[in-house]
Formats: sequence, structure tokens, C-alpha cells
Amino acid sequence: MKFTAQFLSDDEQLRIHQETLHILADVGVKFHGEKALPLLEKNGAKVDWDTRIAHIPQELVDEALRVAPKSFVLGARNPQYNYAMPSALTRYCIDGTATFVLDPESGQKRYGTSVDNDKSLRIFQQMDMGVMAWAPTAASDRPAHSRVLHEFFGIMKSTSKHGQHEVHHSGQIPYLVEGLRSVLGSEDAIREQMNYSLIYCPVAPLMHDGDMLDAYIELGHWNMPVMVLPMPVNGTTGPASLFSNLCLANAEALSSIVIFELAHPGRPVIYSSATGSVDFRSGAYLAGTPEMGLQSAAMVVMGRFYNLPSTSAGCSSDANEPGAEAILDKLITTIPPVSAGSDIIVGLGEIEGDQLLILEQIVVDNELAHLCERLYAGVDGGDSKNLYEDIARVGPGGHFLGSKNTRRAARSDEFFMSKLIDRHPYEAWMDLGKPNMYRNAREKVNEILAGPLQDPLPENVLCKLDEILLAADKELAKD
Amino acid sequence: MSEELFRKMAQSIIDGDSEVAVELASQAIIAGIDPLNAITQGYVVGVTQVGEAFSCGDAFLPELVMAGEAMKAAVSTLEPEMARRGSQRQMLGRVVLATVEGDIHEIGKSLVGTMLGASGFEVFDLGVDVSSSKIIMKAREVNADIIAMSALLTTTMVKQKEVIEMLEKENLHGKIKVMVGGAPVTRDWVQKIGADGYSEDAIGAVNAARKLMSS
Repeated sequence: MKFTAQFLSDDEQLRIHQETLHILADVGVKFHGEKALPLLEKNGAKVDWDTRIAHIPQELVDEALRVAPKSFVLGARNPQYNYAMPSALTRYCIDGTATFVLDPESGQKRYGTSVDNDKSLRIFQQMDMGVMAWAPTAASDRPAHSRVLHEFFGIMKSTSKHGQHEVHHSGQIPYLVEGLRSVLGSEDAIREQMNYSLIYCPVAPLMHDGDMLDAYIELGHWNMPVMVLPMPVNGTTGPASLFSNLCLANAEALSSIVIFELAHPGRPVIYSSATGSVDFRSGAYLAGTPEMGLQSAAMVVMGRFYNLPSTSAGCSSDANEPGAEAILDKLITTIPPVSAGSDIIVGLGEIEGDQLLILEQIVVDNELAHLCERLYAGVDGGDSKNLYEDIARVGPGGHFLGSKNTRRAARSDEFFMSKLIDRHPYEAWMDLGKPNMYRNAREKVNEILAGPLQDPLPENVLCKLDEILLAADKELAKD
Repeated sequence: MSEELFRKMAQSIIDGDSEVAVELASQAIIAGIDPLNAITQGYVVGVTQVGEAFSCGDAFLPELVMAGEAMKAAVSTLEPEMARRGSQRQMLGRVVLATVEGDIHEIGKSLVGTMLGASGFEVFDLGVDVSSSKIIMKAREVNADIIAMSALLTTTMVKQKEVIEMLEKENLHGKIKVMVGGAPVTRDWVQKIGADGYSEDAIGAVNAARKLMSS
């Protein structure tokens, strides 16, 4: 049977749902911006205009959950990467918008740039466990007012997998839509293919950004799916118990879904989360803890409770440098959401609380994803795996290497053969200069970057995207 | 009697118990104890003890925050009596605090405010999404020693630079020192924009502010 783990009992799921409804109706949620509150009030929510807090009744939640699609396909520029959700297996998204990059040449930490996005996405393109690309770092070399567009267009250019990013206000929408139209051919294609989606983080506790949410509501016109990613942190922006933090995160997720479905019923939404825990010594956000892994898994369970496509953060680390601590954190935050059946785990390639992008880490994390997948597959007890005949034939003593079953197994999924982890015996390993998975990953990175870009956009489309960005740089600066 | 009351005051801070701290402040007023003595010989002893325990890793942040809040509550109770007596608490400096325009992330900024307040700074917290001109206007109004700004996003941290440029234009930078913080802020950024102080966390912010006041 499959490796199984239970993170919430049926009763606990129900209680989280009930507490969530309680929070939404009685505590309420604060909405900055122009569009959400009128929409909520018109549909029966009680709105306090002085505090901008909306008290959301259960009926609105029920209706939003009723009309939200329960399954859909995230499209990709190269259709071989289309990804249907829910999925029986977990796949991955590269982590996004880290402030910093570990410079591949100097090994020094510095602010990220658009070149780093290009390189990391080219690497991600060739990672077989990756299905969704987020802009891995903030492109600090681009103007702040048009930066997200540079990042979004960078995704379109450097990978043909599904792309997900953000916009910060409605003024950026015409440029984004024009870019999408240039890449996909028409506005209908934007709506129908769903090759690009949006990531949306409510601001914990229980708040929604104004300009960003207004823009996201507007983008419903183009049917762009939204992944809702609440991020309350135990003890700082969230309550200091896993259970209550789950209730708060769920309330933030459902309040977002209510808004998106009220504005555009049937708009695809993805239930997700990136809850963290706190370092009680400093107040720092921690992303690589067992509590984070547990909460991510439990939120996947809640997403399934609502029958929604469910993704999660994971594969996260608070380590300041690549190495043992990074791997330890990443394993402890990947196994739980994989075991819970997360459709996509967001986290490849970054450490230091999602703030530091490292090119080799993308490759290392892809390997870690394979290890977790193997673990999750569990012990296959099917008839074909009952090798009694081999045992009887070999008998006491002898070996199984000459068996056809063994020969077959060596190339099967039953045994994961790592290409990245070094398994040389000690002396051979010494003679080879002590290779390790990071060094092997570096070689893979160099190989990918030396090779051609896969599925490049046509030259005329690239030119068009550059024109749009140039205009955005100039025109948005006036705002 | 005063000694026993002072001991309890210190303990109320260590326990992070605002209610008890306020109750003891009221008792001190009734007993005719000088509020300044209550603060320095009572509450501050507790704040110092929690601060030292925190520095050694023996106390955790919520304990420090609640100690700060208990201190604030006790001082508020004592303030009318201080005003009546015409006495004033010696403050370490005046700080105008805000999260910059376009950014509604609050917690880091608020933690810094609590820590600075508990450590003897007078803090004017303008909240979140505050325009550069409003920050400077407030700093002028209260004759601030320090402007402290938080930004969580790489797209909003540029506002920290904007405030410094505006201060420079008005020949105020130097008279008013600038502290910055937030996840994307680094020493390099601080240097680049010409800020005077910076810390990676709220506790460090207190030390940075102290350093600026003595510079």
C-alpha cells in the first residue's frame, strides 16, 4: 500500500471549517481597495465602512465553494507540460520572488536580477518534477513600478511550462494582457488555455491588500486562475497553536475565494497555503520547521475537504547556505504535504525562508522530490511483487542477482536510482575529489545553461514583449 | 513598604502582567510615591531583567513584548500624576515610525515600536502605507530625533530612499537620523541610500537607535 499519513481527523476537519465560518462571520475580514467591499455588501455581507471590515455569512462561503471548479487543467505553452488538477501525484513549482540570489560565480549573496530569473527558469524547464514556474527572484535591475511585468514576461520567455506570477495594481493589467495576447495569439486563448495564473497572498491576520486585490478581481475577466496562499505565522501574524492557525489560514483562503467567485462565478481557484512558524527568540519567520510541514499538509487536507485543487508551500528551509541544514529542513517540509496528496508543492530552489535563490538547489530539490515520491509510493504488495519463486530457487545462501526479476527491478520504479547523490565507495569517492550532490548539481546547471533554450518564443514575439515592457517602464512611471 | 511595592512592580513586568502593573501604579499614586521612583526603581528593574534574560536566550520574544506592554500600561497610569507634579520622565529620544507607502505589512514595524517604547524611547507610530511626505511632516511636528521605516517588499523599499532624499533636500538629514528595516533590507542597501541605522530584528533596532542617539 501507499505510504499513508493522517494529519486531521474527520472531526478536526469539520471543526476547522466551523471555526472558520465563525471567524468570517463574527470577527470579519478587512478589505483595502475599491472593489471587494461593495461586492460583499451587495451580496449580503455586513460591512463596517469605517473599519473596512466585512462580516462574511456562511451562505456566501457555501455559494463560492459550490461554483468554484473542482478540477481543471493548468495549461502550458508547450502542451506536453499541461497539468491536470487534482493530480494523483505531487509535482512542483519553483519558489518565487526571493529577494536575494547566491551569485553563481562569486558565491556571494546579492540582490536578484532578471538574468537570474532567466537562468533559474531555464534550469527549472528541464526539471522533470516541475510543472509550474513562478518568477524565482525579484528583478531588482528593473524599475519598481514595472518590475512584476518584467518578471512575468521573463517566465513566458524562459520556460514553456505553466507560469504563475502577480501584478500589483490595475495599471499593470493592460501590459500584462497585451503580453499574454502576443504569446498566446488571442484573448480567447488567454481565457481558454489558462497557461498563466496568478498567485495571491492575503495579509495575515485577516486582511486583503487593496490595489492588488482590485487588479486580481479585474483579471477574472480573462479567466486567469488564482492560487490563494495565506501565510499566517504562529505566534506573530497568526495564533500560537497549529489548530487555530489553520482556522485563520482557512478563513483567509475562503475569504479570498468568496471574493473571486462573487466577481466571476466559476473562476478557477487553487487552494493553497504557506503558513510558517516563529523563532520565539527573535520573532523571525521560519519556513523549514516540522510545524510548517504539518500545517502545509493539514491545509492540503482542508483543500480536499472542499474538493478544490490543493497545493501547498513546502521544500522550504531557513538555512543560510546550501548543505545539510537546507536538506534537513526541506525533507521535513516536503514529506508531509506529499503524504497529504498536495497537487503542487511550491518551494524548489530556495533557502533562507524563501529569500535566497540558488541555482544548484533547484536540481538538488528536484532529486529530493523524486525521493519523496518514491517514499509516498510505499510498498507494492501486488502479486507481481511476490517473488516467492526467486526465494525458493535461490534457497539458503546464494544470491538474487541472476534473477530476471532482479534485472527487471533495477530499471523499475521499485528502486529509485539517484543520478545526483554520490554513492561511490569511500576510496573511489576520495579519488574523485569527494563529489557531492551540490557539486553534481553544479555540473548539471552548467550543462543546461551551456545548451540551447528549450521551446523559445519566436523572435517577433520576443520583440513585441520587449516593446510592451519598454512602454510599461515609461508610462507606469508617471503614476 | 515602597521597597516591597517596587519589587512587585518589577515582578509584574517580568510576568508580563499589564493588569497587575496598572494596579500597582495606582497603589503607588495613592501612597504618595514619586512616579519617577516607581518607574526607575520598580518597573525599569523588571524591564532590564527581562532584557538581559532575552539577550542570554533565557527569555522569548512574547515575554519581552508583554513586558514592554505592561511597562507601557504602567507608565500611562502614572503619567497624569507626573504631569500634576510637573515631573517628566527622561526619554532616550523621539522616534517617528512607519511602514512605507504601498506596503501594509505591519508586524515588524509594530514590534520595533514596542521594543523602542519599552526601552525608553518616545514612539509615534504612524501605521502602515504611510507616504514619505506624511512621515517627514510628523517628524517635523514632534521634533523627532529618528525616523524609523519598515518595508517588506523590494518594490516598496525604494520609499525608504525617497524619504532620505526628501530629508536631504530640506537639510534635515543629520538632525533627524534614519533607521530602516524589513526582509529585503541589507547593509548594502543601507549604505546605498545613506541611512544611519539598520537592524535585522526588533531587538537590534533598540541598540541601533541607542547608538544613533549617542552619535
